[in-house]
Parts: sequence; C-alpha cells; structure tokens
Amino acid sequence: MNLPSGTLLAQSALSGLFIGGLYGLIGLGLGLSWGLLHVINLAHFGLAFLAAYVCYQLASVGGMDPLATLAIVVPLCFALGVAMHALLMRFRVSPLNSLLATFGITAIIEAGIQSVWTADFRKLESSYAAQKFRIGELFLPLPELLTLAIAVALAFGIWAAMRYTDLGKAMRALAEDAPVASAFGVNARMHALLLAGVCGALAGVAGVCLALTYTLTPAQIYAWVGVVFAAVMLGGLGSPLGPLAAGIVIGVSEALTMAVASPSWAPIVSFTILIALLLVRPGKT
Amino acid sequence: MLEVDRLGAGYGAAPALWEVSLAIAERELVCVLGPNGAGKTTLINAIAGLLPARGGRIVMDGRELTRAAPHRFCASGIAIVPEGRRLFAGMTVRENLEIGSYLPQARRERARSLDYVCALFPAVREKLDHAAGSLSGGQQQMVAIGRALMARPRLLLLDEPSLGLSPAIVLAMFDAIREVNAAGTAVLLVEQNVAMALDLAGRAYLLEEGRVVAEGPPAALFDRPELKRAYLGHDPVR
Amino acid sequence: MPALRLPAFYESFLYLVLHWIVLATSWNLLSGYSGYFSFGHGAFYGAGVYTTAVLAGKMDVPFAWTLPAAALLPALLGVALGAIVFRVRNVRGELFALLTLAVTFVLATIVLNTPIDGGPGVYLSAVAVPSLAPTASGSFYLMALALAVVTLAIAYAVTKMRLGVGLFAIHDDEDAAEVMGVPTYRYKLVAFGLSCGLAGLAGGIQALFVSYVTSNGTFNITVPLTVVLMSVLGGTRHWAGPAIGATVITILLYASTAADQAVAGKAVVGAILVGAVLFMPDGILGLAVARLRRMRAAASSIAQAPPAYATRLPATAAPRARTGEPLVVVRGLRKSFRGVRALDGVDLDVREGEILGVLGPNGSGKSTLINVVSGHYRADAGSIVFAGRELLHLRAHRIARAGIARTYQIPRPFAHMTVRDNVALTAMFGGEALDPGEARAQAGEWLAFTDLAARADALPGDLNLHQTKFLELARALASRPRLVLLDEVLSGLTPGEIDEAVELIRRIRARGTTIVLVEHVMRVVTALSDRIVVLDQGRVLAEGLADDVMSRREVAIAYLGTVHA
Repeated sequence: MNLPSGTLLAQSALSGLFIGGLYGLIGLGLGLSWGLLHVINLAHFGLAFLAAYVCYQLASVGGMDPLATLAIVVPLCFALGVAMHALLMRFRVSPLNSLLATFGITAIIEAGIQSVWTADFRKLESSYAAQKFRIGELFLPLPELLTLAIAVALAFGIWAAMRYTDLGKAMRALAEDAPVASAFGVNARMHALLLAGVCGALAGVAGVCLALTYTLTPAQIYAWVGVVFAAVMLGGLGSPLGPLAAGIVIGVSEALTMAVASPSWAPIVSFTILIALLLVRPGKT
Repeated sequence: MLEVDRLGAGYGAAPALWEVSLAIAERELVCVLGPNGAGKTTLINAIAGLLPARGGRIVMDGRELTRAAPHRFCASGIAIVPEGRRLFAGMTVRENLEIGSYLPQARRERARSLDYVCALFPAVREKLDHAAGSLSGGQQQMVAIGRALMARPRLLLLDEPSLGLSPAIVLAMFDAIREVNAAGTAVLLVEQNVAMALDLAGRAYLLEEGRVVAEGPPAALFDRPELKRAYLGHDPVR
Repeated sequence: MPALRLPAFYESFLYLVLHWIVLATSWNLLSGYSGYFSFGHGAFYGAGVYTTAVLAGKMDVPFAWTLPAAALLPALLGVALGAIVFRVRNVRGELFALLTLAVTFVLATIVLNTPIDGGPGVYLSAVAVPSLAPTASGSFYLMALALAVVTLAIAYAVTKMRLGVGLFAIHDDEDAAEVMGVPTYRYKLVAFGLSCGLAGLAGGIQALFVSYVTSNGTFNITVPLTVVLMSVLGGTRHWAGPAIGATVITILLYASTAADQAVAGKAVVGAILVGAVLFMPDGILGLAVARLRRMRAAASSIAQAPPAYATRLPATAAPRARTGEPLVVVRGLRKSFRGVRALDGVDLDVREGEILGVLGPNGSGKSTLINVVSGHYRADAGSIVFAGRELLHLRAHRIARAGIARTYQIPRPFAHMTVRDNVALTAMFGGEALDPGEARAQAGEWLAFTDLAARADALPGDLNLHQTKFLELARALASRPRLVLLDEVLSGLTPGEIDEAVELIRRIRARGTTIVLVEHVMRVVTALSDRIVVLDQGRVLAEGLADDVMSRREVAIAYLGTVHA
C-alpha cells in the first residue's frame, strides 16, 4: 500500500476536523435531550434537515443571507422542540418509546420536506461557498470554518451556561434527582420544556450549517443517524463538550481511513467505537 | 404553623400511611419515632412535596398545600434533608448549596446563608469545590443539611440524619440541629436513635404500621409500653 | 392448493405482504416477546440475502441449496453476537437497539469492501427460479407462503412452550425471572438464533426475487424500523400481532405507491407509528386481548366460587418432619457495596421445618442476606450450604431449582401476565420442570390456597396491595420449595390483613416448608418465629428464642440507641 503524501494526510485530517465539528453540532442537542430529558430524539435529525431546507428556501429563493436566516429558523425550531416535548411528556413516554415515536415524527417531516421540495438534490448557492482561505498548501473553505466556529462556540456557550448560571445548575440537578430539585423550588416541567426548546434551536443551527456545506435530499436525514449517535455516546450523554470532542475524533479517524484505505471503509470506524463502548461501559453511556 | 390532617400516602400499590395527623408550632422541635416500615419516611416526603398525598390535608400557615405542585412546597417555607441525603452527586458542594437557595427570596440571601452554613459546618467550607459524591458520609450529611438551610426554611424536615454515621459525627450533627432550632427554625426529625432523638425533641410522635399510636413529651413517651412493643415486640406488662 | 391463478401483479403483491409478515414475526420472537428491541434485524436479513446472492449468483450453487445456509449463517451470527452482548448486564432497552443497529452498519461496510460484494452489487438474473408454479411470481408467492406459515407456526408454538413463558417474564422483569428459575441467558440466545435464522431465510428468497442486490439497498435502516413499526402496531406480545401490522402497513404503502401518493403514504405511516406509541403501546391485538381478558375476568369472578383449598395440592411439598437438622448453613458470609459492608461475616443456621425470624435496624443487612442467598447478588466471601450443596457460585435460576424461593419486599409480579400465569411460571421453572398445561393447573390450586382463585384472570396491576402480597406468596410456593425467604411480606397491610397473612404463613409451614421471615411488624415476628436472629451492621448480634432475644440489652441498644452514642 502506498502511503499518501503528508499534504494529503494533513488536508484529510483537516476535512475530518470540519465534518467532526458538524457531528458535534448535531450531537449537541441530541445528547442534551437524551442525557437530561431522557428522550432519544430521532426527530432531531428531521428537525435539522427541515431547518436546512427552510434556510435554503429563504436564502436561494428569498435572497436572504444564509446566516441571517438563523433569525427565523432558530425560533421556529425552538417552538417545534417545545411542542414535541410537550406531547411526549403528556404521554410519559419511556426512552425506548421516545425513539419509536420520534422516528414516526421524522418520517412525517421527511414526507413534508419531500412534498414541498421534492426528492431532488438542492444546493444552497451562497457567496460563502466560493470563499477559501489558504494556509501553506492547505485549503480552508469558509462554510466549513464557520460551521466549526459555531459548533465550538455553542458547545462552550452551553457548557458555561450549565456550569455558571442558576438555570443551568437547575437543569443538571433535575437530571440527577428531579423530585429533590423540585422540593427546592425548581419547576421541573417548565425547565424540561425550555431545554427541549433549546435542543430544537440547536437542531436549527445545525441545519443552517448543513445547508451551507452540503447538498440536500430528504433521504440524507438517515445518513447522519449512526455516526452522530456514536459521537454522542462516546462523548457522554448530557455533556455539552463531549459530543464535539468525540465528533472530531471520529471525523478525523474517518477521514484518515478514507485517505489510507478507501472511502467506503470509513463507517466502520465510528460503529466499531460505538459497539466497543456499549460492551465495555454500558452503564456510563 | 404546619398542620397535617388525616394524611394518606404511599408508593405504587402500597399505601404506607393511613390518616396520620400531627401539628408543629413555630420554633418547635418535634420528633417522629417508629420501627422500620412504620411510614416515617413516607410522612416526611409527603410533607416536603416529594410524594403526592393520596388523602387528607397538609396546611402550612393556613394555606393548603395538599394538591400543590411539588415545587410550591419550598416557597411556603419547608425544606427537606431527605433519607439517604440524595445530594446531586455530580455537582460540586457549592452548586448543591446554590440549588438549595434557588427561589428568589432565598437567592437574595445566598451569600449570608452560605456563611451561616460554613460557620455551622466548618468542614463544608473546605470542600466547597469538590464533587458532592466524593465526600464522606458525614460530610455529605452536613451538605444535605446545609442545602436545606440555604432555602431559609421556617420548617426543616430531617430524615434519619444519623444513619450510617460514626458516634462522634452523630453528636456533632445533633448539636448543629439544636443550634438551628435555637436560632428559630422549627424542626421535624425522623430518627432511629430513639434515645438521642428524645433527648433533643420537645415533643414526639410514635408511628406504627402507618398510624400515630402515641404522642407526648419525650420522657413520658420513652416509658410508654407502645414504644417498647413497637420496637422490641414484647409487652412489658406481661 | 393455494396456488391462485392470479395475475402476476397480485402474486407479487401477496409475496410482499408475506415477506414482511415473516420479517416482522421473526423479529418479534426475540424483541417482542422478551423486550430486547433489536434495530439490527436488517443485518441478519442482509446476511441471508448475501449468502444466497454469493452462493447462487457467484458460485453457481442451485438456489434451493443456498437456503439452508441463508438460515444457518445469520442464526450463527446472531447467537455469536448474543453470546457476547447478553453477558453484559446493562445492554438492554435503547442500548441494545443502538448496538444492534451499529452491527448492521459494520456488516454493511464489510460486505461492501470485501469480495462478498466489492461494490458493484451481485446479479442473480442468471439463477433459475424453482418452478413450483407455472410462473416465477407464482413460485415466489408459494415460497413466501410456506415460510410465512412455518414462521407463524413457530411464533405460535413458542408462546405455548416454556421458552415463550420465560421470554415474556424476561420482558417484564428479567432479574425476577432469573430468580424464579428461568434460564434467561440461554432463552435469549435461542430466541435470537431462531429470529435471525428466519430473517435470513426471508432474505435468501428476497435476493432471488429482486435478482440484483446491493449493500446500500440491503443493509439500511428501513428494514429494522419497518419491522418495529409493524410489530408495535399489531402488538408485540401476541404471536399474530406482527403479521397483522405487516399486512396493514404493506397494503397501505403499496396502495399509496400505486396511487402515486408515496410521499403521503410515508407521512401516514409515520403518523401511525406516533399514534400507536402514544395511544396504544400494546398494539391492535394488545388492545383486543386486554378487552377480552377484562370480560372474562368479570365473568369468572361472578361465576366461580373459590374452591376449597389444599384439596389436590401437589404432593411434592410433602410434609417433612421437623427434624431440626440444619437445612441451611451460612458461614462467614460477606458482601460489600462500594466499600460499605452490608454483610460482614454472617454465621447462621436455618433448621429444617422451622420459622426463623430475621430482625435488625435499617441497613443491618437483612435484605442483602436474602438477596445473596437467593442468588440475586453474588457474595464476596463465605459459604452457603443448602441441603449439603454449596450455593455460593450458582446462578440464580439454579438456586431456585435447588429448592429455594423468595418474595420481594416491594412485590415484583410480571405486569403483563395474568395472576394465574405469574404463579404458573414458578411452577414451571422452579423445582422440577413441568409443561405449561400442568403448571397452569397447579397454579390454580396455589391460587385457591392463597384465596386468589377469583382473581386468576386479572392482571397484577388490578390487584390491591393485600392481594399482590399474597400473589408473591403463591408464586414462591408454586415452585414447591424446601425453603422460602419472605422479605417483609406484611409491610403496608392493615391489621386485619396481617392476621390473615399470619394464618397463611402458619399453613405454609404446616405443609413442611422451612421459612425465613424478615419482618418489621414485631407482634408478627414474635407470634410466628421459632427462633430469632438479630442482625446489626452486617453481623449477627443475637440469636435465640423470641422473647429472650428481644429483652437483651445489646438488642435494645441496637434498636433504641443511647444518648452517649
């Protein structure tokens, strides 16, 4: 086997870093919902794609700046996240059933996307897409850089909020022992809905980043499920920084696998990590 | 201050409490005794809102709490030190104490309350930035009491604060409880160490099989046949 | 002969319905019955697809000969995976679902990148279709029909065997099932193997039906999610549930595709899944069965006067003489949890035929003692000899078979099984093996013994606490144990109910069963016990006759404490 050149490896690692950032960004809301709300929200992916399509519509057809669409997409997704959680809470759904119910919701979202935007490929053409920076022999495309920056900023932002604000501490307390937290005056229901809204909003941001970088088609919703779950479980449920770090580890190892072996071997990396984790420390994840 | 009238409560299909009535006045220190399984923890959890009441009434300062949402109990001046402490183990001691003062009126007093707790339990001050789960049993108990005090309660509920602790720490713990009570907070104490609890309390209730079977001042209660029978099974009369 | 002379279009449609019936029903064998929801059914189905594709398409093996391999290989894969996964205690529920999903993708990657497929897909257009009917579509229909009949027959038969009863118990409470004598590990493996083998067969036929297979088309998330959806909709706790769900969904999808409304069809299926999970988590058949049972229970509680008890009770628990010989000898028993010593060197004997009361303050180790003796926890050190046999390293279901039964302080009945089936389960698995019919008959006797006969067809959730506690007792007795461990059976009962329970416990002992009684209600302990052991901080503090022990000073201190603690 010929080893690829150093430049190629470095460029691969870089693209792995970027895609890892996106894994982390999608996984952020997913992990918070799982770890703190005990809802395994497959619809998180549907919501992100819905956001991506709305962003595409507003920017391509409506002529808005893609980043400006966040002002519309984020509140929309926040509201959807709250509504969905209100429904799940009303029926006291178990984690396993939340996985099934949110898969149903995802199928509905997918059908909705398909009926509005068809199954054809859609690509957001924006002024960002063409811009690249160059460092030595390495290229840094702007949309990917933006995505990584947003992922890092949000992960650290939420980490800080969980650590340094009363609201964030109350969320952690509720996740550890909801009855006792309630006994000290924390309103469990309101906090859960708020957090579900935040997770929805995070899906919205992830969706805008998806639209910036990727060609969209409804069936792609499921392509992200496996690898993002691997990132969330590797990073730790409910941890804001874990999925980002794990996403980057997975992204880089995938990219290097692609460069050294062949692109089609890449999925085995994340899933082997996931299986090993489940078997070695099932209680921790 | 607190009136409990024919309260019923339980877990799942099992009622653990039938029609228990008791009352606590301002600044009182009242003890609830009874063997394992008598329903003491169920009682104290229901008063704190940890467990919904199935029947009867809980009234605090004339306001009915029975059907209130769990997070409303604290605002009316009740704070609990639950059985087994139930600290937020993944959070630091400081964060645990901050959750105790989550409500607005307690939050305004947070700095002063923190000083008060640290003065009461000097060991807590040194551990403020440690994870609560990493502390020893005695230290955890102090944090649990501290967390409840941070809420500035007028009624402190204590569920078996001496369980699993060494005698020296138990003595310190009881001194602290005495001090808190002397400063004006009413205390409802559930305790397995009958002798010590009666030494501390101004009044006591004896619970057996989910009912109040005796009530009165400690000295009188200690000699009552119901107590010996409940704990030891033999009837001293015989 | 069901070979319909239908147009090929209809035969292909029926083939599809039957194909999904097989996949959903086979999935249900493990996942529906035992609650281990697998999202990896696509992996085993795909293994079958590729076994046939490679053997027939690339190596020119006649199609019929590939089918045994298409069943065997996935079954072996499933058993191998299960042998690893089922050993890890916490991989249940959503974690098992994710793990099996991940296995699907790993398998897909391997297939795609090795000569099994290599990328371009495998063609089977040159493979001869067995001519069971005049047309190819007719032959496929017949093959699918045969497989569907076999699969449904297996699914039905399993529910009537010990295997099925054990799997249902695992679904409701796996730890309790193991303690009652169900060999949980083995049963899960068998069910997984059956499930994977049948899915592989369906895959083998499907490979020839589509005649061109690709890795992406085979190992995707659609297969597992569709079978889960079908089974949840139809009802996972019934052998026919998945078949009903599969029929409904396939017709729906097919109709919407035919009407050029595939997108709307997808949305409707999604909405059905959400609705099913929220409004009828037990599925169509689950609802129907529940309604039927309620009607039957109402009818039986009116019609049946409870028969006199103890008339035809099984003779295996024949009264043994109260020999006073030690039945259980516990020495130096230790058990710690994260550094806390729950049992710190316990020595005690239980004599044949006696009632031994075990007392002690909170946290003294009473419940741990029962949990260790029944095999729920494994001791750190010491020995437990029961009727001359060391129990320390036996799995819980072996201890149950050796003749020890227990009750749980907080009753843990199998929530989805009727009262009668709950009792029949221990009759079936504890002690010597009974077949389900015999066990159900005996269960009736035990229900009469505990005055529960009128509630035999009710679900445990419909019982009051008193009845639930008696159900715990009936369940423990039905295994015809030599030793029963009663963990606070009386807590939460009213004084009148306690008196009834005391009578019942006396009757149990009169039948020759040795009893260890952990209890807080002191008047009961003193009334019932021959001897008393007091535990304190994981050690035996005192031992002897009831009144004598309870008036000792050290016991009083343990219970009441001292001011100078």
